[in-house]
Amino acid sequence: MRIDPANPVPPTGIVRRYGMDQVPDHVPRELIRTAGLIYSPEFLANPHKFMADMHNKFPPVYYDVGPFGNAWQVLKHEDALFVLRHAELFSNEDATPFPRDPADWFYFIPIEIDPPDHRKYRNIVDPIISPQGVLKLEDRIRALANELIDDFIDKGECDFDEVFGRPLPVLVFLDLMGLPRDMCDTFVTWAMALLHSNDRDIMGATLKTIGDYLKTAIADKQANPDDGLVSRIAHAEFDGKPISEKEAFGFVTFLFIAGLDTVFATLNLMWVWLAENPDRRQEIIDNPDNINAQVEELLRVHSVTFSGRTVAQDTELRGIKLKKGDKITSVLPACNFDPDVFPNPTVVDFHRPKKIILAFTVGVHSCMGAHLARLEIKIALQEWLRRIPNFKLKPGTKIEYRPGGVIGPERVPLVWPA
Amino acid sequence: MPKVTYIEFNGSRHDIDVPVGENVMRGALYNDIDGILGECGGGLACATCHCYVDVAWADEAGTPTSQDERDMLDSTAAEVRATSRLSCQIEMNEALDGLIVHLPETQY
Repeated sequence: MRIDPANPVPPTGIVRRYGMDQVPDHVPRELIRTAGLIYSPEFLANPHKFMADMHNKFPPVYYDVGPFGNAWQVLKHEDALFVLRHAELFSNEDATPFPRDPADWFYFIPIEIDPPDHRKYRNIVDPIISPQGVLKLEDRIRALANELIDDFIDKGECDFDEVFGRPLPVLVFLDLMGLPRDMCDTFVTWAMALLHSNDRDIMGATLKTIGDYLKTAIADKQANPDDGLVSRIAHAEFDGKPISEKEAFGFVTFLFIAGLDTVFATLNLMWVWLAENPDRRQEIIDNPDNINAQVEELLRVHSVTFSGRTVAQDTELRGIKLKKGDKITSVLPACNFDPDVFPNPTVVDFHRPKKIILAFTVGVHSCMGAHLARLEIKIALQEWLRRIPNFKLKPGTKIEYRPGGVIGPERVPLVWPA
Repeated sequence: MPKVTYIEFNGSRHDIDVPVGENVMRGALYNDIDGILGECGGGLACATCHCYVDVAWADEAGTPTSQDERDMLDSTAAEVRATSRLSCQIEMNEALDGLIVHLPETQY
């Protein structure tokens, strides 16, 4: 059924299955696994090595039984392209399971909206977040990166995640949205409670708090327009009619959730790799003209998220029957290690032929922040390596990874010659 | 403003004004032309804005402008032909007024 974004209602008929007792009959027993993605000790010991190895240890499509819900899991690059690009078979309903108040429902826009309505929302923000649009932010991001580095460079050590990995993307996001930079610490607190508490009550209460703030911010931009994204959404019109309150709220709220955690985790992963691979770091420094390929390759091997869908009608994948209502997850970081697409997949090679990488998914719901993320990573690499070319993990550090749907290390303590 | 004519696989034509500096992919998206998806938003990352530049415009716009574009053309769903381009990489200027592009049967 086509939904009306201006008059949102909670979805009905969502079925979540947990554990062996709730494996449906159409699932072949020999395809049942418990892979332990995002939580098992084997995964958390070295998540990306674990996911690269999955191509040798798991069938390309299997039915995962686990504590966060049973779902098909997809490892092959071409299968993920198929799933993510066929919205009519694999729907986004229930793909963003943050707890909302059923009495005051809203859709996360545009991720929960299917074509053709999806495009009208993307058209509002695409000029700002296109590859050309984000270049207007380049000078500000570069200045910000240097301001952050100024604060700690003389100390010869830092907790990278706290003083660079976190504030850089959050402050850029606030600038882009047109929200005040002094909200940075508050936003970080909210983002941690929403994304990493693993507690539905805390998540629900936090989403309410965030919503109250964003409603005020939207009202403020309606009265005082500027060139930020919140204002642009608040003043959007479709066919001469202003955007509805529910649509504006759902759009701004989704941007908030999407914009705060992923680049953070990505930067943290990349800086661990840089710290542990001084010769490769030097290769980046010595080849500044190849920066775009370097960013893309580092994104390939350090992808941080998964992409879940609900099967919308009975279908088959590799001859396996999928039934309407089944959950299916594309294990994007594993797909980026598919040896059929990326030979010697665990080798970081800055001269690979350009291919579709799945760091940002594909399909109509392909990540709208991808170009901003790429630009932030590029500037972070350039400015950090220009000013702090030699660094390593603080002696004695053991990298520990944070359980949850966004993969990244808990802490990244670095040292360098001051 | 320069015009671009998009001819879909089923033969339907769309004459669209595309501003100088805007790209041919974006001109299609803003005007709901189905034959171009442009799912990555113009980042040379998806190969879903594939088009065939009309042979009459081959000299002006029929050749990829970077190795990345040539690489990504390997990922298109429809066959690659002599004037295949990723339309996000065709930036409009006055000299391209009247450009004709043909859209493939599918982008997936």
